[in-house]
Amino acid sequence: MNKKLLEVKNLVVEYRLGTKIMRALDNISFSIKKGEVLGIAGESGCGKSSLGLAIMRLLPRAGKISQGKILFKERNLLRLSETEMNREIRGREIAMIFQNPLHALNPVFTIETQMVDIMRFNLRYQQLNINKKNISLKDRAIELLKETGLADPEERITDYPFQFSGGMKQRVMIAMAFISNPPLLIADEPTTALDVTIEAEILALIINLVNKYKNSVLYISHDLGVISEISDRVMIIYAGKIVEMADSRSLFDDPRHPYTRALLESLPGTKTHKGRLPTIPGCVPLLDKLPKGCSFHPRCPFVEEICKKNTPEFVELATNHWVACLREGKLGRRIKCFL
Amino acid sequence: MLKYVIKRILWIVPTVLGVLILLFSLTYFLPGDPASVMLGPRATPELIEDLNHRLHLDQPVYTRLGYYILGVLRGDLGESVWSGHKVSSLIVNSLPYTIILAVCSMGLAALVGIFLGVFATIYKESIIDHLVTGISLVGVAVPDFVAACLLLLFFAVHLNLFPVLGAGEAGNIADKIHHLILPVISLAIGWIGYLSRLTRETMLEVLDSDYIRVEKAFGIPAKHIHYKYALKNAVIPIITVIGLGIGKLLGGAVLVEIIFNRPGLGKLVVDAVYARDLPVVQGGILIATLLFVLANLIADISYAYIDPRIQYE
Amino acid sequence: MIQENIANSSPKKSNYRKKNSQIKKIAGILRIILHDYRGQIGSAFIIAMVVCAIFSPWVAPFDPYEQDILNRFASPSLTHLLGTDYLGRDILSRIIYGSRVAAMVSFGSVCFSAIIGVIIGVIGGYKEGRKLDYAIILVFDIVRSFPQLILALALVAVIGPSVRNLILALAFTAFPFYGRLARAETLSVKEEDYVKAAKALGATNIQIIFKHIIPNTLSPVIVTGGMDLATMIMYEASLSFLGLGVRPPTASWGIMLRNGLTYIHASPYMIIWPALTIAIAMIGFSLFAESLRIALNPKERKLHE
Repeated sequence: MNKKLLEVKNLVVEYRLGTKIMRALDNISFSIKKGEVLGIAGESGCGKSSLGLAIMRLLPRAGKISQGKILFKERNLLRLSETEMNREIRGREIAMIFQNPLHALNPVFTIETQMVDIMRFNLRYQQLNINKKNISLKDRAIELLKETGLADPEERITDYPFQFSGGMKQRVMIAMAFISNPPLLIADEPTTALDVTIEAEILALIINLVNKYKNSVLYISHDLGVISEISDRVMIIYAGKIVEMADSRSLFDDPRHPYTRALLESLPGTKTHKGRLPTIPGCVPLLDKLPKGCSFHPRCPFVEEICKKNTPEFVELATNHWVACLREGKLGRRIKCFL
Repeated sequence: MLKYVIKRILWIVPTVLGVLILLFSLTYFLPGDPASVMLGPRATPELIEDLNHRLHLDQPVYTRLGYYILGVLRGDLGESVWSGHKVSSLIVNSLPYTIILAVCSMGLAALVGIFLGVFATIYKESIIDHLVTGISLVGVAVPDFVAACLLLLFFAVHLNLFPVLGAGEAGNIADKIHHLILPVISLAIGWIGYLSRLTRETMLEVLDSDYIRVEKAFGIPAKHIHYKYALKNAVIPIITVIGLGIGKLLGGAVLVEIIFNRPGLGKLVVDAVYARDLPVVQGGILIATLLFVLANLIADISYAYIDPRIQYE
Repeated sequence: MIQENIANSSPKKSNYRKKNSQIKKIAGILRIILHDYRGQIGSAFIIAMVVCAIFSPWVAPFDPYEQDILNRFASPSLTHLLGTDYLGRDILSRIIYGSRVAAMVSFGSVCFSAIIGVIIGVIGGYKEGRKLDYAIILVFDIVRSFPQLILALALVAVIGPSVRNLILALAFTAFPFYGRLARAETLSVKEEDYVKAAKALGATNIQIIFKHIIPNTLSPVIVTGGMDLATMIMYEASLSFLGLGVRPPTASWGIMLRNGLTYIHASPYMIIWPALTIAIAMIGFSLFAESLRIALNPKERKLHE
């Protein structure tokens, strides 16, 4: 049961813009177990979206996986051909829910057509439903839509995407993701583009479904609150590198990396003092102009000379709690986080 | 949708009125007196006066305009000065040749062009893609009548594979088709070039969309995405182009008809121009323009039909 | 303080700076065009054609009107590189002289239609919603209802064939396209903040039109104009082909093609050379127009980097 479902080793993802080459992900390594939810947090532009796309091998034209291995059920996904990837992995073993549902559905086809088409080509779906042969594809789609909380699925399935709101479109996408009950679900900021109330609903929906079907999840978000609600383990990414990785409780109780600490401190409600909300000075560096040494050092309140020269290594500080900081262990405990 | 259609049709009324006025005023630009110009060197004062009276040329402007418009609405486009036949019947006899030519050419161009365009996107950056781009460049650059002349030279005269003149024996479909091939190819080449390139560009734009990425993420095979999901989106602007293109095709058809000596509307108008047969010229251009306007209208409406978003507005 | 600054800023200096930046912009655009293979080929063709057009008497080996009946339908040889036509005239020279007509008609009609179209379109856009605007749109739609070639045909038939009339007729068929473009640009530009600011500072309508609106219409108009150059060459050839363009014995590629068709059984070269010339000219101009479009469109530039 503790076998690794997904194992990423030394992944490097680069983007080419004109003549510049930027590393969106620099030597990323981690793994996910069966039934585990791994949350990936980081600011916008830190490369976390590229992770989901890289695993699915759906990077845009300018992007390239230049190094590393992605092992899914012990197969290296990077060695599969495009056809194999399409036929066996995408939508079958690994399904992805995207960030902005607004344009995520083809505007000139009905929901029914799009869902039924996915089912028609999905061998895994067909295998799973072999004993339910008497149910038509359309009915199965309606069932799934019902499960994701879409109102009146029998009527709405013949509608076009532009007749749906953002939240409803996201429910459709989630239904599509669960067509073949994928062992791994990648959620790339699924609630970021939605209203706050809808956000809560969709998040609850995902948590319910995951608990029911026991999928593993790679949940990408910049919202630490959401990450804390859903994740078993959390990974913090800054400027393309992992800076801290730990069990959820351990990370939020005892954040060790200065960046994580600053992030948590900047959340409203973590401290009971009045006055200005603490922010992290400076801004996220552009990926082609990374600072020398530790990428975070220009903004770090604990910076020292060594930070400007050496790159930090990933070190296990406590059980399952990894940090990449040159001054680890020497920083005191911080105030308990109220998340 | 109905509102949209009605609005569109209503706007045509003043436009067509303007077209009629413009055509009518052509006579005013003729240097010299219209009647003598039409009759040419064999004009005598009596003939001129007779023609003036017949064509109401001796009446004030507004009256003449009135006669003209009323006549058009009744379907009466006057009589040919040259042959005396009713202009409307001349046009009705020649129109089918032109329409068949235009429809076949555009149909062929759409089928081949769109297919080549989609093909090029599937095999993007390969030799096939560059080949299609090259073909499209040449196709667009070579004008219809130039292609027609070259095709005529090689296939009809030198290789003797196709007939040089005419539209074929009446009643003999195979012969008619035989006569149709070279003209259709001449007209289609340009549009194949344009449409294949347009399809390729539109398809590439569509393939960059979010929803295509989502479809890929759910494992839908690439060919299926290209030929069904992406194409239907890409086709939308292309249909408009095709509709507008039929009008431009009419212009090209004129020359092709002259070159291959097909008795279509284009040849009718041009021959009338040579013969200074003003009523035929006016009538022919009017019909050609109306067809053009009709083609645009149909294109607009089918655009609204295919894109379901517009329907619900 | 502010008054002092206004009084002290020398008008001469600011004009110089403006001209300088405009020259730099144009130079930048030219550089982009010439770096692109399309621009290179296209510019080469345009330059070749312009050179032939202007310097025809020096470039052409023979007099295009000089007949040599004994030598009609000659195949290409060392003297007559492209052969001779049905009157023994040197085909190469006639093609070179033909570029005069093509250049004059295409450049002339494009400039004419662009200028007229932009002026009318901007006026219509500026007075949006008023009767004048509706009238202008109506005029545009009426002229656009005609297939371009057919309308040009009718006009030339009526006013008589000549280079000048060709230019006028073609310009008339084309001006609504520029007009619509200019009107659309005007509609969006006049809502911009800087235009409203200028108005608040007391600028007159004419000043706003010339300083703000028209420069914004330049880019799409130039792109369209570039593409139109090729189209106009084709229309000139078409009309001359029909005998409704330039009058013989003036050399025009269209007339040469027509003659070639008449004598198709006598010599293939009378068709081949004019046909190739027209095709190549159009390819060249189209390529140039394509690179012009990319150069003037920042979005396209990134795509093709």
